[in-house]
Amino acid sequence: MRYVLLVILNTPIILLGLLNIVTQYKMKRVSKQRFRHQVILWILILVVIVSSFPLYNYLIGKPLLGSSELSLLDIIQTTTIIAMLYALNSQRQKIDQAEKIIRDLHQEVSIRLSGNKNE
Amino acid sequence: MPAYNESAVIGNVVSSAVQDFADSPYLIDLVVVDDGSKDDTANIAKQNGAVVIQHVINIGAGGATATGLSYAQQQGFDIACTMDADGQHSSEDVVEGIDQLISQQADLLIGSRLIDDEGMSKIKILGNKGLSIITYLLFGTNTTDSQSGLRIFSRKAIEQLKWKTSGYEFCSEMLWRAKQEKLIIGEYPIKAIYTDYSKAKGQNNWNAINIVKSLIKRRITEMFE
Repeated sequence: MRYVLLVILNTPIILLGLLNIVTQYKMKRVSKQRFRHQVILWILILVVIVSSFPLYNYLIGKPLLGSSELSLLDIIQTTTIIAMLYALNSQRQKIDQAEKIIRDLHQEVSIRLSGNKNE
Repeated sequence: MPAYNESAVIGNVVSSAVQDFADSPYLIDLVVVDDGSKDDTANIAKQNGAVVIQHVINIGAGGATATGLSYAQQQGFDIACTMDADGQHSSEDVVEGIDQLISQQADLLIGSRLIDDEGMSKIKILGNKGLSIITYLLFGTNTTDSQSGLRIFSRKAIEQLKWKTSGYEFCSEMLWRAKQEKLIIGEYPIKAIYTDYSKAKGQNNWNAINIVKSLIKRRITEMFE
């Protein structure tokens, strides 16, 4: 039940992350390389979340990795981390775009203003 | 020629370069990008025959160089060159670089001060070699002087080279972008002219630590891009 809750809580965030990067790519706002890396990242997180139950069962037998079963706090923590990753990723994308726009604008303004002065 | 607060030397640097370029077989426009200087750099450069582009605010050598290349692209220049405004580079080396770019059929040619490092202090050699090694380790581009400000660009490089950093770290990032764009990178030996002024103005090895930090950050960030 706890693992189902973990999957239910996190899957929408991961799908949102995937949807976001696909939309950005289709709108030509991100490079193909970034799109590929982001898709791999979100799919990897989805696979780890979905396979967390068999993964736990497998790891519990290993002395170094043996720990108590998933608690409600663990679920909240994991969900928060993934939500934070999503937010961080979106914000970084926006900052990158804004930075590029400001840089290009400053460049163009400087060239045009100086063009008038040089004439 | 990116310049920031260079009023003490820019007049001599520009006037001697304009004279030398007039004697060269190429038609050369000297463009000074004044990176928001607080002194009279822009006016002095203009009085001595340079076309001046003035940045509204100071953003750094990388940003000023990008503006210069953007201007070169808009004006349809066949070749662009960058050189330091502190008088460290000779105009003969610029003309020699244009010859070499054409003969080597390269897209980006770096004027290397370290092929023949005579006159350069040991600490500067160490700093520059260290940064070239780090540039190689991070980006896989092998040049003897990754921080040189004397660079020659083909038309292809003018159009395709775009970098994101605006400080001195752009020197290394530019090589990385050139590699990503599959541009042909070459180098040729140049002589650096060190005066008390250029020694005081140039980068020190503490700044090199900042450059390394910024390059590592950029490399790690782009692993997720």
